[in-house]
Amino acid sequence: MAEDLVLDTAIRDWVLIPLSVVMVLIGILRYFVSKLMLSSQLPDPKIVKEGQVIVRARNLRAAANFIPPKSFRSRRVYFSNEENGLLFVPKGQAQNPQAQMFSDPNMAMDMMKKNLSMIIPQTLTFAWVNFFFSGFVAAKIPFPLTQRFRSMLQNGIDLSTVDVSYVSSRSWYFLNLFGLRGLFSLILGEENATDDTQRMMQMSGFGFDPSKSLGAEKDGLDIVQHEWALPKFEHRAEAALKKLIK
Amino acid sequence: MVSKTEETQLNRLENQVDNGGGGAWEYLCLARKLKVRRPEKVLKYGLSILNDSKKRSALGPEEWTLYEQVAIAAMDCQCLDVAKDCIKVLRKKFPESKRVGRLEGMLLEAKGLWGEAEKAYSSLSEDNPLDQVIHKRRVAMAKAQGNISAAIEWLNKYLEIFMADHDAWRELAEIYVSLQMYKQAAFCYEELILSQPTVPLYHLAYADVLYTLGGLENLQTAKKYYASTIDLTGGKNTRALLGICLCTSAIGQVSKGRNKEDKESPELQSLAAKALEKDYKERADDKHGLLTCVLRSLKI
Repeated sequence: MAEDLVLDTAIRDWVLIPLSVVMVLIGILRYFVSKLMLSSQLPDPKIVKEGQVIVRARNLRAAANFIPPKSFRSRRVYFSNEENGLLFVPKGQAQNPQAQMFSDPNMAMDMMKKNLSMIIPQTLTFAWVNFFFSGFVAAKIPFPLTQRFRSMLQNGIDLSTVDVSYVSSRSWYFLNLFGLRGLFSLILGEENATDDTQRMMQMSGFGFDPSKSLGAEKDGLDIVQHEWALPKFEHRAEAALKKLIK
Repeated sequence: MVSKTEETQLNRLENQVDNGGGGAWEYLCLARKLKVRRPEKVLKYGLSILNDSKKRSALGPEEWTLYEQVAIAAMDCQCLDVAKDCIKVLRKKFPESKRVGRLEGMLLEAKGLWGEAEKAYSSLSEDNPLDQVIHKRRVAMAKAQGNISAAIEWLNKYLEIFMADHDAWRELAEIYVSLQMYKQAAFCYEELILSQPTVPLYHLAYADVLYTLGGLENLQTAKKYYASTIDLTGGKNTRALLGICLCTSAIGQVSKGRNKEDKESPELQSLAAKALEKDYKERADDKHGLLTCVLRSLKI
């Protein structure tokens, strides 16, 4: 079972390298197209304000021990007051961010564009690979694998006795798809639209949910116990001065 | 705020360019990144690059940012025709740009045509209500016209939206202090301390305001903040040391009848006095006599 098949070098010249080159070129093309189609998204004032409120509330929580207790308490009330506190979001109003995103036409268009620019080249390249590069062994993976991977990696090869390490070009395509991200960030700089895996992760953890983070900040703020750190500082100042005078 | 390393780097580049050693472009980039205000130098070196067509084309697309930077520097130095030329070039290249519109508004401001500048800014902010620079220009205009209450109003409106902008809080605090509205100034300084608790300047300013407000509780709090300033600066801040001495004697005066003794740091005043004397002896020996008189009068 473990015989070594000798793979023709012509496979390397005409399959592996052209496939990689084509994927790099398509990635670069997608980057430029996405730059052309970039529509400037006007930031929603409400969202900006909420973002800033969150930053301020976070600062309050972090440095609460540096201001006098009375000021801290008045600020806490200002933020988490039941009637008009900044962080307080009444239960009915907590908007479903997904619904909001779809109803806003600009954002929906943007999302569609981004999705299309990702899906279409992938689909086309995949179909191209399947059409032209199927039915033969393309490469050998250097480590042994179990039989489970056979259906995934050896799709075009109809022999069931070939070692699973010998894979078809489809797996080379997938390898390139995920692996060229590093290369793209070298060539194109940090912001490139070819971060497919990143985008997929982003889509699953959907969008900026302001009401939830406000609620989280409010809870965090309610929990904070104010312990005024300043009296300690007097002792530290004494110590510092003593050292200085010596 | 500019850190120390950045400051030394900037000064080094400035010296280098002043003595004819090249590197003007790096200096301009650094000045732009750190947002420092060196209008004469920026104007001189920026113009030398822009007027030389070979150097200008070597910049590529950065040329336009340089035009903007030189235009602002020219307005700072009141060379309004230079600024107008730069803005004209930018307008030709970017006819619909709001950024150029902003520059034109600033030029009107520099010429002193307040009404037209106000009109320009309001039309720009209608299109783009979240532009921070336009809000800040409005505040600056109100301040330049001497209309401090309008400046306070605009600044408050700005801070309602952008409440995490600590520079704006600082500006508001200074305006309040200039108008002697100390309670409001104290609030602003508290915001600053919250956002950057390790910057001793804010502690010091807050302590100053509290000391000016007076009252036993404020004096005690002020003393604590002077102490924290001393701790943060390693005892080198003369103003904080003097503040400690003044606070302790003021507290002693206010609570003369009552039996409230400040048990927390009895030695602080004497230590601060000793540190001050040592400092004055080292750095300003001729004023040392003055210091001893002041300290002696405080101990009463």
